[in-house]
Amino acid sequence: MRGGEFDEVEFFRAIQDSGARALLIGRRALVVLGLPVLTADYDFWIGIDDIPVFNAACGAFELRPGVEPIDARRRGRYVLQNDEHVDVLVARSVPTIDGQAVEFEDVWNRRMPVALASGIDVQIPSIEDLILTKRFAARPRDLEDVRLLRILQSEQGRDDR
Amino acid sequence: MTDKTPLSAALRSATERSLTPDEARAYLESPVSDDERSDALALIHWFQQRYPTPLERLRYVRSAHARWRGP
Repeated sequence: MRGGEFDEVEFFRAIQDSGARALLIGRRALVVLGLPVLTADYDFWIGIDDIPVFNAACGAFELRPGVEPIDARRRGRYVLQNDEHVDVLVARSVPTIDGQAVEFEDVWNRRMPVALASGIDVQIPSIEDLILTKRFAARPRDLEDVRLLRILQSEQGRDDR
Repeated sequence: MTDKTPLSAALRSATERSLTPDEARAYLESPVSDDERSDALALIHWFQQRYPTPLERLRYVRSAHARWRGP
């Protein structure tokens, strides 16, 4: 499937309909929230038992996993790709750069559904949890994103008052 | 298209590396200046008004990335 043919709405619908616990993280989650950042990839953090259903949903878009589920669980991450590139984090817990353990179950339970189209929600972490995920790799651009998220968070807090 | 020149490799190495905990802490603990906040909010407000829905924002990013990547 060529990139130009990729139907993003149907992609998110397939993930929702699969029942996989899949959180959109990374810069596309920031874009959903209204932050103007550029990215090429899709990043998801999924439940460790949800690899087969998530892969099946992505398979409808000819996105193929590079490894078997057993290896994905062992590595904690894997990639699905064709012309699109989907990075998948698949760990029960991930440490931040400064050693704070972030549990998938906790982040999932605090998730925010965001309506993309009629009947289609994308699940993203709370802003506070998104900030934590940005501290996993802690590359310079991740920390730039943390600053943007904090500015957005403070602005939303101001609007709520 | 993948740019494999030494300069792009060096840039990628610099931007893709993980910072040390001390580097990350120093960066995150530095306060957001009024100018940084004002510039960021101006961009955020422009983006949110130009693309009011999450779907429009995602579509914009796909098209912007395609333009940036080139034919």
